[in-house]
Amino acid sequence: MPDQETAPEPLSEPAPGPLPGPLSEPAPDPGSGPMCGPGRGGDVPARGRLAEAQRELLAALVAGGPRPEGFDEVRLRIQSASLIAKRRGLVARFAPELTRRLGSDFAPLFTSYAQGHPKPPGGSRADARAFIEWLDRCRSPERRHTTGPVPPPERISRWRRFFR
Amino acid sequence: MAFETPGRTGGAVVPYRLGVGIGWRPEIDLTVERLPGVEFVEVIAEGVQPSRPADSLRVLRARGLPVIPHGVGLGIGGAEPPDPARLAHLAACAEAFDSPLVSEHLAFVRAGDLDAGHLLPVPRTREALSVIADNVRRAQAALPVPLALENVAALFGWPEDELTEAEFLYELVERTGVGLLIDVANLYNNQVNLGLSARRALDGLPLDALAYVHVAGGYAHDGVWHDTHTASVPDAVLDLLTELCARVRPPGVLLEWDDAYPSDQALAAELDRVREAISRA
Repeated sequence: MPDQETAPEPLSEPAPGPLPGPLSEPAPDPGSGPMCGPGRGGDVPARGRLAEAQRELLAALVAGGPRPEGFDEVRLRIQSASLIAKRRGLVARFAPELTRRLGSDFAPLFTSYAQGHPKPPGGSRADARAFIEWLDRCRSPERRHTTGPVPPPERISRWRRFFR
Repeated sequence: MAFETPGRTGGAVVPYRLGVGIGWRPEIDLTVERLPGVEFVEVIAEGVQPSRPADSLRVLRARGLPVIPHGVGLGIGGAEPPDPARLAHLAACAEAFDSPLVSEHLAFVRAGDLDAGHLLPVPRTREALSVIADNVRRAQAALPVPLALENVAALFGWPEDELTEAEFLYELVERTGVGLLIDVANLYNNQVNLGLSARRALDGLPLDALAYVHVAGGYAHDGVWHDTHTASVPDAVLDLLTELCARVRPPGVLLEWDDAYPSDQALAAELDRVREAISRA
């Protein structure tokens, strides 16, 4: 991947496959609490606590949420920047023409966009589309209605020439 | 050293020798076909359509090369049971390529409505272990072949961690029989970024469950190692590979390269460095 990448996201999206039948219920884990139905599975309170902890951390990393207690602030900032860099690299591969047109403005513009917009469902293609829509909103007269950070005016005036 | 041959106990995960391989990517498909001495490949599962695999993968399969589907999006370390549709896709990939196993990561990639788009480390608590062990069993039940899980490159740790990554994986292997994909570049990453000794990790990992090994390059920026898979493998990572091979004979070792692809000659030379590091053990 272009930068800060451990898990390459493929350019093609996975083919939607048929859903399998119900999973066979695994043997209970000796370390687990009470087992519940196969739909949720395992130790439900433990799953709930894990879900909450992971959601809280991810919100801090990608959605501007508060840093959960005990995490190293600098390391989370590095991780957060790394996630944005990875998104940027993938969007650059999906939208090479846009990247070329924005030139050196691409990286800071994308960072401004990504800081206010977590990666949407639908992978990097959807991310590229959302970035383009964000650019469009930023250059429109109604851009005061947009949410999240907006690029500095001098950057907008430079790239908007390409979109006229 | 020699590669593992069929019949070893650890062969429960990989029943035969894989050898030295490279990550197959669409951008380097012809290169992979031509590279001398490539004995197996790995393919990113989310990029495969099992009903219509790329011609290049058909060519490699026709030559008898094992193709291992490598998932990046399952998030088996997440709080939700693994997505049946993603598991079905991995199963279909394994069947399409008649793969000896599939591999994924000990990581979470999404939580609620948020998607990290990346492999993030799990909290290594006993409670999380019980949830993830349950996830692994569900995945194993849905897959037609063994599953191996890879240690990830981390930039941070959870404050509530009770176990090292090696201890966590050891417990996971004990409870589920899951195989191990050890990425020595990720061990190096965690040593540089988190001060976690890679050799101590090798001491603690259940090497008898080893399915295969990853090596890759990256770059340092402001004292932080970024595991980008876009550069030559550092000597320090190859030294770790040698160290690993001195302890166990891995069924296979695979080079990952994901962007900024160098010349065919450079990739061939990189594979030679990997072979040399293995033979030093």
